[in-house]
Amino acid sequence: MTGTDDINSRKNVTGWGTQTVPDPWEASLRKVAQSGDRVEFRKLFDHFAPLIKAFLMKGMSAYADRSMAEEMTQEVMLKVWNKAASFNSGKASVNTWIFTIARNTRIDFIRRNDRAERNIDIEDIWHEADSPEPLVDLQQRRVEAVIRNALSTLPEEQSLVLEKAFIESKSHNEIAEELDLPLGTVKSRIRLALNKLQILIDR
Amino acid sequence: MISYHPDSRFLTDFAAANLPMSEAVCVSAHLEFCGKCRAHVQQLADIGGHMLARLQPRAVEEDSFERLMSRIGDGDGAQQTADAVLPAAQESLVLAEEVSSRAGLAPTRGVFLPRALRRLSAGGLHNLSWVQLGNALRVAPVRISGDARDTAIYDIKAGGRMPEHEHRGEEITVLLKGSFSDAEGSYSRGDFVVRNAGEAHQPMATQDTDCICLVSLERPVRPRGWFYRLLEPYVQYRLQKTLERNTTF
Repeated sequence: MTGTDDINSRKNVTGWGTQTVPDPWEASLRKVAQSGDRVEFRKLFDHFAPLIKAFLMKGMSAYADRSMAEEMTQEVMLKVWNKAASFNSGKASVNTWIFTIARNTRIDFIRRNDRAERNIDIEDIWHEADSPEPLVDLQQRRVEAVIRNALSTLPEEQSLVLEKAFIESKSHNEIAEELDLPLGTVKSRIRLALNKLQILIDR
Repeated sequence: MISYHPDSRFLTDFAAANLPMSEAVCVSAHLEFCGKCRAHVQQLADIGGHMLARLQPRAVEEDSFERLMSRIGDGDGAQQTADAVLPAAQESLVLAEEVSSRAGLAPTRGVFLPRALRRLSAGGLHNLSWVQLGNALRVAPVRISGDARDTAIYDIKAGGRMPEHEHRGEEITVLLKGSFSDAEGSYSRGDFVVRNAGEAHQPMATQDTDCICLVSLERPVRPRGWFYRLLEPYVQYRLQKTLERNTTF
């Protein structure tokens, strides 16, 4: 079975809540990309910068203080300005795109802090934009709507582990340690959550 | 066809960028071959996107926007055009082929060098320092940041057999070219194969082509035969020396 077949077959099981809601931030980002529109960029900044700062303060508490989170928020928004043209609305929502930029900025900062050798570029590993695959992209947006709707219906213990992974930046092992749970339990909670979000990973 | 994929733990930790570098390089290499896992990683990133959107906002400093705009005005903000930032999907393949054919080195032709390792090897496998281990196997260790794992490219000659060995920690293998088999099954280009501590095997490359893999080891493997065990300290010494050379790019 090819990847595309598998993604397509999902169409039949996502019967509810899959209508694609227009992304209000797409137009702003497009104007920033096309004409360096500073008014639109200000709107994006006012909405996203405080969210990015919250994300960095939660995920970087071991590395950075408040003023560092402020500086890094600027870094992320600078990248949003610089990379606006690479945003592909068929591939991801603006939320997801900005999440990946903030995520990459965070890991880049942690590596700099560790004084690691810089022989590998973070963006060579965690790409922000891959080559678009039209069929996958279409389904992508359907599944994204499912994720958005289902995320708020997850049981507390499942949304907690997802929040620890994606916002607090903790690996399965670190979550297991922190919650004093066996690794297998963390893994199965995340898998149960992913199944509800219709992210059907085989293994 | 790709039959072995990273499981939900690898993909989730990768999408949230919580995976240590050596393992992340392996997942990233697999993603270059596998559209299905790329789609999963994109969906997992959507979780991050929605969770970001639902956070309690934290006020930025009052002059934050003005400071940013003055940086942009100072030329910090060179906006990229769409052409400049769209990565070419096949770029790494082409690059690896070009470089190796220019150098006239047959063994590296057609190898899909993972994007993450291109910078490290200056585009071609022949730019790495290799340690020859017996007739059938050569190994190019690569250093990945301060990672505790051993990461290396293995090149097994067509039909070559690796010494039987036992794993003392997790091993990830991503096949970049050719195929190999062991008692558990056979693996081909793009496969992401995980072996855990306590498992022993003797991989053998298929007869028709050399097999090139990216390997990440949590702990060094333990060879089974007495002869290889005697050699082991010497092998580790050679790998360590070569690793230092491969770091100086």
